[in-house]
Amino acid sequence: MIRVMLGLGARAAVVLAGTAFATFALLWHAPGDPALAIALARFDAQVPPEVVEQIRAQAGLNAGFWSAFQAWIGPLLTGDFGRSSVTGREIWPDLVTAASYTFPLALAGLAIGLALSIPLAIIATRRPGGWLDRGAVALASLGAAIPTYWLGLLLILLFAVQLGWLPAMGARTPVHIVLPALTLGLGVAASLTRILRSGILEARSQAFLPAFRRRGVTPNDIERAHVAPHAAVPVVTVIGLELAFLLEGAVILEVIFARPGLGTFLVNAISTRDFPAVQAVVIVAAVIFVCVNLLIDLIYRVLDPRIGEHDA
Amino acid sequence: MRSVWAVAMLLVSLSLLGPLLAPYDPTAIGLANRLSGPSGDNLLGTDALGRDILSRLLHGARWSLGLAFVISVLGLIIGTLAGVLAAQGGKVVDWSVMRVTDTFLAFPELIAAVVIAGVLGAGTGSLVFALTVTGWMRYARVARGIGLSLQTRGYVVQARLAGVSMASIAWWHYLPSLLPSLVVVWTGMFARAILGISALGFLGFGVQPPTPEWGTMLLDARIHMRSTPLQMIWPGLTVVFCVLAINLAGDTLRDALAQEEKQL
Repeated sequence: MIRVMLGLGARAAVVLAGTAFATFALLWHAPGDPALAIALARFDAQVPPEVVEQIRAQAGLNAGFWSAFQAWIGPLLTGDFGRSSVTGREIWPDLVTAASYTFPLALAGLAIGLALSIPLAIIATRRPGGWLDRGAVALASLGAAIPTYWLGLLLILLFAVQLGWLPAMGARTPVHIVLPALTLGLGVAASLTRILRSGILEARSQAFLPAFRRRGVTPNDIERAHVAPHAAVPVVTVIGLELAFLLEGAVILEVIFARPGLGTFLVNAISTRDFPAVQAVVIVAAVIFVCVNLLIDLIYRVLDPRIGEHDA
Repeated sequence: MRSVWAVAMLLVSLSLLGPLLAPYDPTAIGLANRLSGPSGDNLLGTDALGRDILSRLLHGARWSLGLAFVISVLGLIIGTLAGVLAAQGGKVVDWSVMRVTDTFLAFPELIAAVVIAGVLGAGTGSLVFALTVTGWMRYARVARGIGLSLQTRGYVVQARLAGVSMASIAWWHYLPSLLPSLVVVWTGMFARAILGISALGFLGFGVQPPTPEWGTMLLDARIHMRSTPLQMIWPGLTVVFCVLAINLAGDTLRDALAQEEKQL
């Protein structure tokens, strides 16, 4: 087990290092003069060339690729994300504030997704091929084809514009989270229902179940002791996959619902060409993503000990 | 299988013939007739600049479907090459290729695409680059998996012993076995590309105005949600329809493939 964990940890480290390098290389080779972009963002008017050069020197843009990479990655390893090139503010506190809006949204979306999909999958698999089952599958297929942002717009149109029940823009009150969370949750529910459904059906087809049945084990006991744990394994993996969907969805929905958060932070940073801030968001997202996946990989192995000890 | 062909024909004809069917020029501005509802002249109404929405949707098909096709095929080529390389190249190559694949997979694809397209500057080129770079990994995984299982098959071993080059083995022995599974992956990635293009367009990082593209049309429509909500419905419905059709075709293909494997 320790060897497996070391292997997984090494893999995660390689992935993070790769992400950091790729991000830095992309931004370094981005078209346009970053010093000029900073100058324009700060002064908002014609800037004399001397000032641009001064900014260039200050921001360390004169250095070569490798020394600039070292100047960035060194402090980063100690948790220092540097300062925004546009506002000059420290990035980390702003990033924490942004995350404090994004995480509740993502968690609420996941909770709604689970709350909708688990009962739906259980009802659907009660009679496989029945009209409830086919309806659930059709709903799930439809859900997978609807772009998150369009669903968000439709919900705004219905609940905020037409009915006026819920607020759509901003994040002033806790109620503001309802519409974006519902949008995310419906998307999550679509894919979860599909996977849960096939997970339950597969668990029911295990070869040893008829033997238990003939020995007189009640159907309820079989469901509880043999079907449910087996069907739970894919759910854990899928929550890992859903994380990508939740993060992506949160990014777009924050823009639509004018919520502060990591998505708004990222899109603003890209538009103002605030590259230190872009790098910071990318790194934080990668760390979250890799850590959660690592955790899920471990849970997965605990839930299903058959999963290879040697393939890490 | 007939439904798969129907979907394919529909999408191909939509992107090839769509512009010909359009009743108006998609960029013709008519401010006197702006934000009008569906009528005999403009079947789906007009947008904020008085442009005919139906014409924009039909012209947009070429961009949305065409670009998605290009992106998904580029991803297919890159991913297959990477996967076959990993399967054939031995332990070190395999490890390195798969770690690169992991790195790209380790990040939510759409966020990576937003960063890449945004940083490179909005435009069709950056859009294609961003979605291709973030969309080849699934092919690589599938190609590597099947490739590794072929590595020990009798005919592959014999070909290698007979001195057939790696490239020829890949072309003549790997590709035919890989293609069915890769095509199934491709349908999924094609649908994802349509969603990705429209999402980037919606965020303003995709195809630039005045070119009609479904996501960009939604971005325009969003501002006028209160006065003309229908303007926002049409492009979204078109995206949903295409993605749903492709996904269902993909499911049919996958089931057909599974059937065939069972019979073997």
